[in-house]
Amino acid sequence: MSALSGMLATPLVWLAVTLGVFEACDQLSRKSGRHPLAHPVLWATPILIVVLWVSGTPYPVYKDNTFALSFLLGPAVVGLAVPIWAQRERIARLALPILLSLTAGAVTSIASAVGILALFGPPREILASIAPRATTTPVAMAIASQLGGIPALAACIVLFAGIVGAMGATPLLNLLKLDDYRPRGFALGVSAHGFGAARAFQVDATAGAFASLGMALNAVMTAALLSLVAALL
Amino acid sequence: MLPAIFLLLACQLLGEVLHQLTGLALPGSVIGMVVLLGWLALVRRERPVLTAVSAWLTAHLSVMFVPSAVGLMQEGDALARYGVGLALATAVSTVLTIVVTALVFRWALARFTPDEVGKRPVPSEAGA
Repeated sequence: MSALSGMLATPLVWLAVTLGVFEACDQLSRKSGRHPLAHPVLWATPILIVVLWVSGTPYPVYKDNTFALSFLLGPAVVGLAVPIWAQRERIARLALPILLSLTAGAVTSIASAVGILALFGPPREILASIAPRATTTPVAMAIASQLGGIPALAACIVLFAGIVGAMGATPLLNLLKLDDYRPRGFALGVSAHGFGAARAFQVDATAGAFASLGMALNAVMTAALLSLVAALL
Repeated sequence: MLPAIFLLLACQLLGEVLHQLTGLALPGSVIGMVVLLGWLALVRRERPVLTAVSAWLTAHLSVMFVPSAVGLMQEGDALARYGVGLALATAVSTVLTIVVTALVFRWALARFTPDEVGKRPVPSEAGA
């Protein structure tokens, strides 16, 4: 029994369990045709929390033993430069629309999220966790921890924003009578990161390309704006 | 493959160093992204392996942040107290950001790049 409980604190066990649970959830997500509500993280996270509770494993032990996965987030964020670079001609051609709408979108996202949440009177660490809500999850977690927020909460908020964006964008943009895939896709990527990009790709390749661009650019824009705000406060 | 992995790690490392030196709240990995962008602009060549490696990493982002998302188990109190506010603020902000971004893009497209307007109209039957 003690040998077994010793094993419960090794990377081998927790990496295998995490990948196994994730893979099972991912299969279901594929079967659903990648419906936003079937996103594997949405189901893998509560399942793993239950596994940790049942096995009596404290979160810090789990965190240490799954470090190999979390570590990859850093290089993955750096790698977002590659698709931005690949789209440089498109960016140059549409520089002003992209820059202006990106800035407007990033400011709207931060101000409205923090402004509305502030009405509920939460402490600063909760506000710092929602500020980067439009960026892709690893960037949001990094920004949140820089601002004194809670990375796990930021990840959860970003997931929720992605689901809202992916499910609401089509009716919303049709309501605006917007018939150009470039602003449609770009807005989706700026506001709903990878979820938005995945949704945009389901609809149209141009919308998808602009959504990926919006996601990557907003990671930089939101990070820059918030570090500026943090420096001024 | 190793040169591509090295390039990503080296850019991240430089990003972390710049982050420490400047004391900016900009995360090291985001600075690293900008550093890599600069490197790609400076040393221009085809980089199929770097493209493949970064595409692989991007494709598997979801599983990488699961360990951090599980940390939510420690935030039960915050969720119970501010869950409604968090959900409301996130949903409204997401919708508002889509509207503002799309409308500013459309306006700027017509205002500054009239040649580009209507280049890719949506077929009316598409349900995008």
